[in-house]
Amino acid sequence: MVDKGQVISLCRFLLRAGRQYPDYNIREYAKRRTLDGFRMNKNLTDHSKVVDAYVEGKKQLEVVERLVKVYLAYPPKTKNIMELKLQ
Amino acid sequence: MASLSTSSLSFKAPSIQSTRTSQVLRKPLSFQPISFGRFQSSKNLRLQISCAAKPETVQKVSDIVREQLALSADTALTAESKFSALGADSLDTVEIVMALEEKFNISVEEADAQNITTIQEAADLIEDLAQKKPAA
Repeated sequence: MVDKGQVISLCRFLLRAGRQYPDYNIREYAKRRTLDGFRMNKNLTDHSKVVDAYVEGKKQLEVVERLVKVYLAYPPKTKNIMELKLQ
Repeated sequence: MASLSTSSLSFKAPSIQSTRTSQVLRKPLSFQPISFGRFQSSKNLRLQISCAAKPETVQKVSDIVREQLALSADTALTAESKFSALGADSLDTVEIVMALEEKFNISVEEADAQNITTIQEAADLIEDLAQKKPAA
C-alpha cells in the first residue's frame, strides 16, 4: 500500500539528493528527470502500477545517493558558465 | 537578551502598533517575575504565528510561485491565495517549496512542508526558519 504522502516524500527526497551534485549539468538533469518522472505517472489508477513506480523511484533514490558521494570525491575545477551571475 | 528584545521590537514595527501599547499596559498586571526582554520575546513568538510576515517576504514568495506555475502577470496574487486555487497540484507544491528553500537558504521539514497551502503560510514559515537559523 503506497499512499500519496509517501509518493510526495519520495519526490522530496529525490529532489534534495539531486541538489547535492557539484556538477551543474547533472544537478539540473536530476531535478528535471525526477519532476518529469513523477508528472508522467501522476494519473496512474492501477495500484500495482503505482507500487511498481514507487519501487523504481526508491531504487533511483539509492542510485542518486550513491553517485552523489562519487561525484563529490571529484568535484569540477571550474564553475559552469550557467552558474555565474550576470555581471 | 537586550539584542533579542530590540530585534523583536524592530520586527513588530511595520505592523501592529496598537497592541504594543496594550502589552505595556498589561505588563504590570501579570504576576510572572520574568524580565522585560523575555516577556516581550515570548509574547512576540506567539504573535508571530498569527501576525503577518514581512511584505517583502510575501512578495518574494509570490514571485517564485508565479514563476513556477507560469501564471500571467495579471493574475492577482494575494497572501491568502491557495496553491490549489492557482492550479498547482501536490507535485507543483513540492517544487515551489524546493525553490523557496533554495532562494531563502533554509531547510523545511517534512511535516511543515506538507502543511503549506497558502502563500501566507509559506512566508510565515520562512520568517520562522530565518529567525531560528542565526540563533542555532
